[in-house]
Amino acid sequence: MSRQHNPEEEPREIAHPEQYVFTPPIDIYETEQGLVLYADLPGVSVNSLELQVQDNKLTLLGRVEPQIPEGARPLHKEYEVGNYLRSFILSGEIVHSEIEAKLTNGVLRIFLPKAPKAEPRRIQVNTG
Amino acid sequence: MPIFRWEQSWNPLRDLEREVDRLIQGVEFSVQGIRMPRQYPAVNIFELDHEFLITAELPGMQVEDLDLTIANSVLTLKGHRNPPVIDDGEIPEERFRRQERPFGEWQRSISIPDRISEEHLSAEFNEGVLKIHLPKLEEELPRQIPVSSGE
Repeated sequence: MSRQHNPEEEPREIAHPEQYVFTPPIDIYETEQGLVLYADLPGVSVNSLELQVQDNKLTLLGRVEPQIPEGARPLHKEYEVGNYLRSFILSGEIVHSEIEAKLTNGVLRIFLPKAPKAEPRRIQVNTG
Repeated sequence: MPIFRWEQSWNPLRDLEREVDRLIQGVEFSVQGIRMPRQYPAVNIFELDHEFLITAELPGMQVEDLDLTIANSVLTLKGHRNPPVIDDGEIPEERFRRQERPFGEWQRSISIPDRISEEHLSAEFNEGVLKIHLPKLEEELPRQIPVSSGE
């Protein structure tokens, strides 16, 4: 259950749905290889998740279809069901073509790999 | 002409901020509806012709870590959500850039209508959403109670 960013794929315009849009809570931590991002997206399936990298902007849109049977009468309501949208500006250090994502039980995990640092190179100074 | 930032020497905090921003350069908030602090997990309760339906958002839970019990018309949901781990250990605090997701033990008790069939209660967990079906009991027909005379 993973979706890999394909750099050759043309970025699609993400449509903004006309219903509740929530900012999902996220965790971001850093490892030596890159950044790991977790986002809570309850109700989002792998088919209703759109992840997009365009220029240096990473956008995630999780569409949630209310799965309540027709004719159900609400007796008590503590939360609304809606889509999730959040975007991030990535630094040039992140290798966009190698971003990996996995969705499990309503939690999205995105790995944002950092480009390896260039080794210092000694520059020969010639005398005039 | 100096080629380093002159304020570097007197404001290390500002440099830290910049370092964070360098990797995640700002977060755009696209919010129309804001989720206010609430009991965890938040639940919705619906009534249908043949059943009551309870839904709860529990992203990141595993089915085996969910504990549902019913006693005296009180449904209790219990569980534990583990934080992300790295190399089988907890991630040190200093590695986090953002930490917004809740973790730990949780428990929630919900009073349910009396007239449900507890034996036929069922639950399903998909994509981080728990659904509990509480089938209604068959409507009982009025039963005549014989009255004996006290003679």
